[in-house]
Amino acid sequence: MKTPLLAGAVALALCSAAPMVVSGGALAADLKFAPGEDARFNWKSFEDFKAAHDLSGQEMSLFGPWLSADKDLIESVTAYFEEATGAKVKYSGSDSFEQQIVIDTQAGSAPNVAVFPQPGLASDLASKGLLVPLGNETADWIKNNYAAGQSWVDLGTYEGKDGTSAFYAFPYKADVKSLVWFVPENFEDAGYEVPTTMEELKALSEQIVADGATPWCIGLGSGGATGWPATDWVEDLMLRTQPPEVYDQWVRNEIPFDDERVVAAIDEFGAFAKNDKYVDGGTSAVVSTDFRDSPKGLFASPPKCYMHRQASFIPSFFPEGTELGRDADFFYFPAYAEKDLGTPVLGAGTLFAITKDSEVARAFIDFLKTPIAHEIWMAQAGFLTPYTGANPDAYANDALRKQGEILTSATTFRFDASDLMPGKIGAGAFWTGMIDYVGGKSAKDVGAEIQKEWDAIK
Amino acid sequence: MAISSTEAPRSTHLPAILHFAATLGVALFIMIAGLGISVVAALAVFTAVNAILPDIKLLQAVLVMLLGVAACFGYFWGSNRILDMAYPARGENIAANINSANAIRPWLFLGPAVVILGIYLVYPVINSIILSFHGPDGNQWVGGANYAWLAKDAAFRESMRNNIFWLIVVPTAATFFGLVSAALTDRIGWGNIAKSLIFMPMAISFVGASVIWKFIYDFRPQGSEQIGILNAIVTFFGGDPQAWITLPLWNNFFLMVILIWIQTGFAMVILSAALRGIPEETIEAAIIDGASPFQIFYKIKVPQIWGTIAVVWTTITILVLKVFDIVLAMTNGQWGTQVLANYMFDWMFRGLDFGRASTIALVIMAMVTPIMVWNIREARKDMK
Amino acid sequence: MSSVVGTRPALTWAVHLSVLFLVALWTLPTLGILVSSFRDKDQLAVSGWWTALVPAERNIVARAAPPEDAVAENGNWIIAGNVFEGSGKATAFGISSREPAAYAVGDTVELRDGGRLTLDATGDYTISYVKKPDGNRGQRIFVTSVEPPKFTTANYRTVLFSEGLGKSFINTMTVTIPATVIPILIAAYAAYALAWMQFPGRALLLATIVGLLVVPLQMSLIPLLRLYNDIGIGKSFIGIWLAHTAFGLPLAIYLLRNYMAGLPREIIESARVDGASDFEIFRKIILPLSFPALASFAIFQFLWVWNDLLVATVFLGNNEEQLVLTGRLRELLGSRGGNWEILTASAFVAIVVPILVFFAMQRYLVRGLLAGSVKGG
Repeated sequence: MKTPLLAGAVALALCSAAPMVVSGGALAADLKFAPGEDARFNWKSFEDFKAAHDLSGQEMSLFGPWLSADKDLIESVTAYFEEATGAKVKYSGSDSFEQQIVIDTQAGSAPNVAVFPQPGLASDLASKGLLVPLGNETADWIKNNYAAGQSWVDLGTYEGKDGTSAFYAFPYKADVKSLVWFVPENFEDAGYEVPTTMEELKALSEQIVADGATPWCIGLGSGGATGWPATDWVEDLMLRTQPPEVYDQWVRNEIPFDDERVVAAIDEFGAFAKNDKYVDGGTSAVVSTDFRDSPKGLFASPPKCYMHRQASFIPSFFPEGTELGRDADFFYFPAYAEKDLGTPVLGAGTLFAITKDSEVARAFIDFLKTPIAHEIWMAQAGFLTPYTGANPDAYANDALRKQGEILTSATTFRFDASDLMPGKIGAGAFWTGMIDYVGGKSAKDVGAEIQKEWDAIK
Repeated sequence: MAISSTEAPRSTHLPAILHFAATLGVALFIMIAGLGISVVAALAVFTAVNAILPDIKLLQAVLVMLLGVAACFGYFWGSNRILDMAYPARGENIAANINSANAIRPWLFLGPAVVILGIYLVYPVINSIILSFHGPDGNQWVGGANYAWLAKDAAFRESMRNNIFWLIVVPTAATFFGLVSAALTDRIGWGNIAKSLIFMPMAISFVGASVIWKFIYDFRPQGSEQIGILNAIVTFFGGDPQAWITLPLWNNFFLMVILIWIQTGFAMVILSAALRGIPEETIEAAIIDGASPFQIFYKIKVPQIWGTIAVVWTTITILVLKVFDIVLAMTNGQWGTQVLANYMFDWMFRGLDFGRASTIALVIMAMVTPIMVWNIREARKDMK
Repeated sequence: MSSVVGTRPALTWAVHLSVLFLVALWTLPTLGILVSSFRDKDQLAVSGWWTALVPAERNIVARAAPPEDAVAENGNWIIAGNVFEGSGKATAFGISSREPAAYAVGDTVELRDGGRLTLDATGDYTISYVKKPDGNRGQRIFVTSVEPPKFTTANYRTVLFSEGLGKSFINTMTVTIPATVIPILIAAYAAYALAWMQFPGRALLLATIVGLLVVPLQMSLIPLLRLYNDIGIGKSFIGIWLAHTAFGLPLAIYLLRNYMAGLPREIIESARVDGASDFEIFRKIILPLSFPALASFAIFQFLWVWNDLLVATVFLGNNEEQLVLTGRLRELLGSRGGNWEILTASAFVAIVVPILVFFAMQRYLVRGLLAGSVKGG
């Protein structure tokens, strides 16, 4: 009984004919910065890449989590790839990327290149044989050209279906998470100084409470992903209370989730979030406030809070017209002076992996090795790179440059643990556990529950 | 019943089966031929029209849409034409031809439905049964391990508990409100307007409904002005604002309210139709006996439409088992609101474990078995 | 039936009031987003939609022009401007976040950098310096103001034009119309065969179809997409049409068969005696007679497909070419979670067509279900 198949094949022909006609007439995308004009950019790398690649008429699909403004940004980068090679890049984004990429790769309709916001997910797919190894040459390139190169190589190295490790995912675009946002003028009005140690930060929090105000805005709400901002807090505090080796063991579950060191870090977070005087709206507001709404308290009149710990992307949720440096600024989420752990930095980033091999996909990964691919985005917004070959002058503003410095001057750099854990934990049990914790459960119980779930998927 | 019924000679079983197989074979052949003709025609039209048509995506979409529907019509028309030509109802073999045509024609009518249902519903069920005995990527056989895991899984128990709440509360409440509003709106002049307004949520997607209800349950900390109406009412009466969807156990009911809100209109429309179908005489007789409107409603009307109430209840029950959009959009199963359908989704896409996901899916299917059995019995009764 | 009630005015009133109450309860949520979608986004974020018609008190933070822009005037250096972006009435102001309402309108305040600030009720401010000031950071002015209610269609403009909803709208249409028509057609033929034609296995087939009503469609997603990719359909409109057709078929066949089985036997038999083939009987007699049932199923299938998210997520891509309305709405929920003005407007855009279709077709709905459901029970 082949009828639907036949009908399908024919109608496919009907359907696919339509978009082809349209796209054929499209012109090359506009380039944000005219090649050769601005000395901040490494145009030579662009010209060299252009000379080495000719893929006219070919096409590749790129699938990632970026939407709206971020989508325009990635497309401004791919435009240069298109210009250099003549190939066409079709980007599509989805906020349900994690599910979509699973369906697509499993069912065989994978894009050529996928942008993973979470190494854990990439590792899962690699273990099912759904990613294509990028080769040792690329791994070596990362190692030699990225600051703290080996840690970035490790981030993209997973076990494949046959159990052998290989380098699968190319890290491109980083975020710094260890930032505390504040309004400088509110600090001036109240006479507060930017704290440089965790001890000072805690003293400042007490001071604000004593002055009759609220130090923190914390919001964990994020629809179906509610709870993730708390995981960042715990990870940051883990790095500030334990040496990085312990952090790594925790990520790999070599120490259980309810290990006392992990429990202590969770309770450090609780000292902020579970203190009604410390957070705007009290503890009950922490879980139900959307993380996107939460920073708005900084800008209220009178201010609802004085500080907000969040990653470098958060300014896009500040009120319209907020000028960084003037209306809002950030400082490094400080480490304890008494503990000799240096200046640890928590970060995140996206990883580009080939999910369907093609010549263009390979060339695209090569394109990410050119300084220009980094500089184009650096010069716009929300992009940090550990690539030492990219010109820091290209950063669009001082805020980005400052974040870039935090990233490169870190004595310890660690990737977001929840992103490294298996999806069921890092994007499930850990979130839920944090909600339960803020809701009243003890850190020990929450840790034990997460560990139980982790055991269940082994 | 039909004058030319297919009374095939039933000497032995084997020839009957062979005959049946032959009928199916010819039907299949004609189906393919009919489909082929209509599809080729559609393609030809597409090519021809596309050459004249300006390059506008919308127009092309409309064209493809029209042709898709036309090809579907073409199949039914074409396959019947082929059948009539192959077995003409005239000539020397007229009786045999009519018999053969009548044996084949039901399968031409049923063919597309059977094929589509087989591929889209029966095959996945079988596939899931097989997968439920396999590991995460569906390769290694694990026997009953997934079922054993499920029996011990706390989150599964939570989902079961919530699902049972949903199964009890939502169909009952939606049917009840539907019945009440049907009975009331039938008595007043502006009843149709009222019905339309109550039915309106039916037209809203689960995702849209989630936006609407997020707005109702919105929570602002004490002290700031509430923009969610529920908290505004609570604070107006002096209460403390609550983060509704995080309140343990209660939050399940706040999610259920959304589905009740959507489904009441469905129940109302069907039950109102049934109420109107009750013969006037029965009611008039009761009025003469001096029964009050309430007695008439509960003692006479409700028993009369009991069958329809059961259908409404069943339909909503099936929907409840499948519902996952509301939970996914509102809480994603956090704060103890997990339900089976969303839990399955979670294991499939976050846990990447198809074995476990399939096992949960089979549990969902198993839960509807009683309803399925009941429905099949009803259908059988109907056939006789 | 109204005559029954007519004898008891008190009861009539009770009925009217109860219906009114039910209607209010059921429309309130939708009304809320309808009103909100027309409100100014700043007001929407701070006050409930039921206060939309009342002037609202707001605390705003304005920033004066930077001191370096001061102009010389009568021997002083002056910076002047207005704190409102529109209209408003200032009632109090302040210069420190600690005391945002420290001064009454008209007061003159000395700033930390030596300037003297005054603000009047219309929001006009003046800062005067004796010496030419410098610095590029303007003074913050905290203003307590009463703002008149503001309504706008800007939310809809944002949604319809800049968020790409228009494109999704067309995609949803492209999905919905064939996905409504095709299953009706296929189900109607199948229902007729099951109701009025004799063939072996009829009862079994009907039972199976009823049983399939309850298959959770999540089970079929990955196997089907894999199948699509194997035979080359991939993610295309034809794939989603067929998927929706399949998922709507059991209910369609069930409803239509019940309806058709209830049609008068005499008409069909006499047509058969006249030598009409089943195809002709179906086309000339059954189809016209079944119109109400077909229409009512069409409404359900239309609403279902229009509002579907899951099937579209799986069988269509997430790119601009294929994203449907519900998918777009979900992405707005995810990426713009804090922006109620975008959410409310886009939610309303998404529901407006199904509601129009429903109002246009509800006559048939009631008629069709009357026959279908009473039989079904």
